[in-house]
Amino acid sequence: MKASPDFRISIKLTFLVALAVLIGFAVSATDSNAQLVTSDEGAINSSIDPDDPNSVLYTDTGGKKAGIGDPNKPASESVRIGLGWHPRAMSASGLPLDRYGLVDWAKIVRDGLIKPRHSLDPNEEEMPPLPMDVLIEAKSDFVDNVIYPHEIHTWWLKCEVCHPKIFIPAKGENHMTMSGIAEGQWCGRCHGKVAFPLTDCTRCHNSPK
Amino acid sequence: MKSIIILIISVVLLSPLTVSAEGLGDMKMDSKIESMKKAGVGPVIFPHTLHEAAMKCDECHPKIFVDKRGANDLSMKVNMKGGACGTMDCHDGKRAHALFNCGKCHHKTEGQ
Repeated sequence: MKASPDFRISIKLTFLVALAVLIGFAVSATDSNAQLVTSDEGAINSSIDPDDPNSVLYTDTGGKKAGIGDPNKPASESVRIGLGWHPRAMSASGLPLDRYGLVDWAKIVRDGLIKPRHSLDPNEEEMPPLPMDVLIEAKSDFVDNVIYPHEIHTWWLKCEVCHPKIFIPAKGENHMTMSGIAEGQWCGRCHGKVAFPLTDCTRCHNSPK
Repeated sequence: MKSIIILIISVVLLSPLTVSAEGLGDMKMDSKIESMKKAGVGPVIFPHTLHEAAMKCDECHPKIFVDKRGANDLSMKVNMKGGACGTMDCHDGKRAHALFNCGKCHHKTEGQ
């Protein structure tokens, strides 16, 4: 079949248009990918100098700058990932980490790597930790139950820190939900702020039903 | 005749674009809705299109998710143990939001 010149031009034009659209698409795809690639800028600075205002004091898990010397500035990314104010510098200090790369403070205390003072007041009487585990049943059928250890909590905290304001000290009286905890209620009052974040579910949900 | 051939060629050449541009949209996952109700969360609305923009197909398919609706037995238990959505380098709190942000996936809908 011999094609007429008209037909050839039409085919060429079609190819040309298709090619232009393809190139345009590829360019836009590259653009959107570029936003996703995180920059290496502000990678962990192993020599942090507290006197140097340019020293990276606040970094997130990715090791990126979250703020320089200004603790009042919100580190939005570290808050988003549930790291709160745990600086990456802690991770570089050789302390034991969990599978998400977060410092495992409970292990540190159990292994005796640190010995926190029970009070700033030397005359205050120290209360021994309370060895009492509480089973908290997960509401979902597919989530493991929680065995709440009073012991590790009372290592640092007095009863009044949690009872009765955050938790009513009676079984079945606290109607906890995971979404509430993630929003900062119950366990979320501390975990994700001053205690380890909620990132690793199995740190608490570890007792099979 | 000629115009028909041109039309066919154009459709064949441009069809991959239409597929990737439209995406699969949102997928509602509510096979375990009874358990979700107990836990006080809504069904999962999975934004497939949003994931398409961030990742290549073979990052998830078929290794993590079989690409067939209803073929993956997803549960929070699987996610928590580092499978499915909770696979390391996915929803681990670094690359994408951590699993405890319940409301980011379990959307509350009317009457729940």
